[in-house]
Amino acid sequence: MTDGRTTRVATSVTPGGEPAGPPRTYGSIVWGQLKKRPSAMVSLAFIVLLALAAILAPFIGGEVPIRWVEGGEASWPIFRCLTNGEYVAMVAFLLGALLPITIRLVRPGAEQVGASPMLRALAIHAAVLAVVAGLLFGMREPERSYGFYLERADEAETAWFPLIAYPRNPGFSELPFKEQPPSWLGWLAPESYPPGSWAHPLGTGRIGDDVLIRILYGARTALNIGFVAVGISLAIGVLLGAISGNFGGWVDLVLMRVAEIVMSIPRLILIIIMITVIPERWIPPIWTVVLVLGVTGWTGTYRLMRAELFRIRGEDYMTAARALGVRTGRLLIRHAIPNGLAPILVGATFGIAGAVFLEVTLAFLGLVQTPSWGMMLNDGRQHLEYWWLWVTSGSAIFLTVFAYNLLGEGIRDAIDPRLRI
Amino acid sequence: MRTYILKRLLLMVPTLVGITLLTYAIVRLAPGDPVGAMIRMQAGNVNPRVFEREADRIRQRLGLKDYNFWGADPDRIDAAEKIVNAFYGYGRWVWHMAQGDFGESMQQRTTEGSKDPLDLYVERAHVSVILNLIAEVLIFLIAVPVGLMAARYSGRLFDRGSTIVLLGLWSLPQVLAGTLLLSLLARGGIGLEGFPYAGLHGAGAETMGWGEWFVDTLWHATLPVLCLVYGGLAYLAKLGRASLLENLRADYVRTARAKGLPERRVVYHHALRNSLLPMITTMVMMLPMLLGGSVVVERIFTIPGMGNLFVGAAMQRDLAVIMFGTLVYGTLALLSLLLADILYAWADPRIRYD
Repeated sequence: MTDGRTTRVATSVTPGGEPAGPPRTYGSIVWGQLKKRPSAMVSLAFIVLLALAAILAPFIGGEVPIRWVEGGEASWPIFRCLTNGEYVAMVAFLLGALLPITIRLVRPGAEQVGASPMLRALAIHAAVLAVVAGLLFGMREPERSYGFYLERADEAETAWFPLIAYPRNPGFSELPFKEQPPSWLGWLAPESYPPGSWAHPLGTGRIGDDVLIRILYGARTALNIGFVAVGISLAIGVLLGAISGNFGGWVDLVLMRVAEIVMSIPRLILIIIMITVIPERWIPPIWTVVLVLGVTGWTGTYRLMRAELFRIRGEDYMTAARALGVRTGRLLIRHAIPNGLAPILVGATFGIAGAVFLEVTLAFLGLVQTPSWGMMLNDGRQHLEYWWLWVTSGSAIFLTVFAYNLLGEGIRDAIDPRLRI
Repeated sequence: MRTYILKRLLLMVPTLVGITLLTYAIVRLAPGDPVGAMIRMQAGNVNPRVFEREADRIRQRLGLKDYNFWGADPDRIDAAEKIVNAFYGYGRWVWHMAQGDFGESMQQRTTEGSKDPLDLYVERAHVSVILNLIAEVLIFLIAVPVGLMAARYSGRLFDRGSTIVLLGLWSLPQVLAGTLLLSLLARGGIGLEGFPYAGLHGAGAETMGWGEWFVDTLWHATLPVLCLVYGGLAYLAKLGRASLLENLRADYVRTARAKGLPERRVVYHHALRNSLLPMITTMVMMLPMLLGGSVVVERIFTIPGMGNLFVGAAMQRDLAVIMFGTLVYGTLALLSLLLADILYAWADPRIRYD
């Protein structure tokens, strides 16, 4: 503030009067608080690693070799066999990892106040992802391979298989291997188990399938259900909550009644009805679950956002923005919603945990036909003597839900240390 | 206050209409009919020829003469007609219900017992009510002291330990917990087969005396209740800790301490009273769970409760039973929302609704 014309609006100033680097956004403050909590960071790392393992599942266990040399001709079959969805997931993961770099690149200088760098970086990455997904689904046809390479492994000069070279969906030839305990137990107790190996680190299941491979593919279902369902419900809840809270009056009255209706229809019943009535050829059952969870789960977010907006509506910066003639839509999206988002993030992490639980319940009722942890747990539950079946799936569910709950607690602590639940 | 309650009660009517209409429309307008749903539930996806044969057999057994359960040939009916039919059907359901006729369960057509949804739910009500009431009382009785201790010694060992344990309990899937309890404590997994593994009453419960019946029921309910308690307990104890912590830092507690009140009196008389309120309202909000929430426990321990009936009806598109369940659940949910609001206003004079 030397010449009186430049005003530093968002620059934080140290007690000495020196400007302390780039402006501190709300997000960066929360992140800084979160980083101090080891339990939250461990949970976050666990979830990221789980997502990575789920995305890279074909490289960890499967029947398609990574590199294959036959008759002097080298090829990389796995890259031809990966589905478009798997490629999109990989790109999404990579973009997510690169997000901090983009945020730094688009961050405005200390003198100007622009849109949140976080939002801008997110928008850029979403656009890149959309282009990649469009190109992949428009131009690429993945190759399919059914155990072709495993049978001919001897004929190749070089064959790099995944860590567990075993078919993902075993046929009848694999049945003799069914219900084998974890193969490394042979080293610990040679007298009661077959010779030890790393062939099936977590044992095999009811149809001779490898449990580790099933756990990895089940992680995909669990993460999909959690993220997509909660994403849908967040989008609906935030939007309706902001509208309801901002306008009040009869809009609020009507929306509140709609929320009450959705809240008062038993969710499990609604999902069951939807699964039984929507034909599988329209939407696979697991996506029905995701959609119904998303479409019915927004009421909590809605109520939170509505309450937040009643508070935010009267804040000075809102009055200032209104006085400057900012249009209502922009006012909500740029000023009101980002300021009310914090408590909703907490609800979202707990919501993901709840979605994973709901999948377990549906699998228990026999309503899920996609490979999932709930299905494995239900299989294992009926034959407790094959303990590795229910121990693995049970602990996968427990650890994932536990990680989400710990992370949710961490975020809540970081946002408001007073509100510790 | 009275006007407020009256207004809320009146607002419940359109909401209830919305709830039932939405449910009715989903069940009615979706492709297929209950006969198809029954086949799919039992045999999965079968080929069309087998499906038709099976469907004919079931229709004959149920005494349905029409081609389609809803009373029309789906090939000769267009979407508009279907919607009109559904609205007509909904109107008829409301009209009959107003006269005390809740329709007829399709599933029970072949059995001896009553086919009236009301009777079906009432038959199973006492099981669900016993289980869930014991569970709710236990949850409250354990959660309050745990939350209290955690808040009083916040940051100390008990607080940290209980936080982790409670989070762990909250993350434990009920299916796993129930199965393990059943196989370890009832089916002789670790040499203990003491606990019964099915039903809520032992053999000959009808001839037992009052005290004996009570003990027998408690004995049978132990494991299912344990399974129902731990999740809610974790949630409520954490809530109690948070709200007590907030109250302990409030100005009025500082005042109470400053004027020299003994710590016991400050905590139990001032802070605890104020933090019980959110716990009680949360318990009230849990009430609708009576109806459908305990289906997992009921199935694992083979207890004929309302949750099983409701979920089973949803799987087989048993319209009358679904509609009755939805109506009761919706009413309970709305009433508990209202009750929670009233409780708040009653306990806290600062809150006014008019």
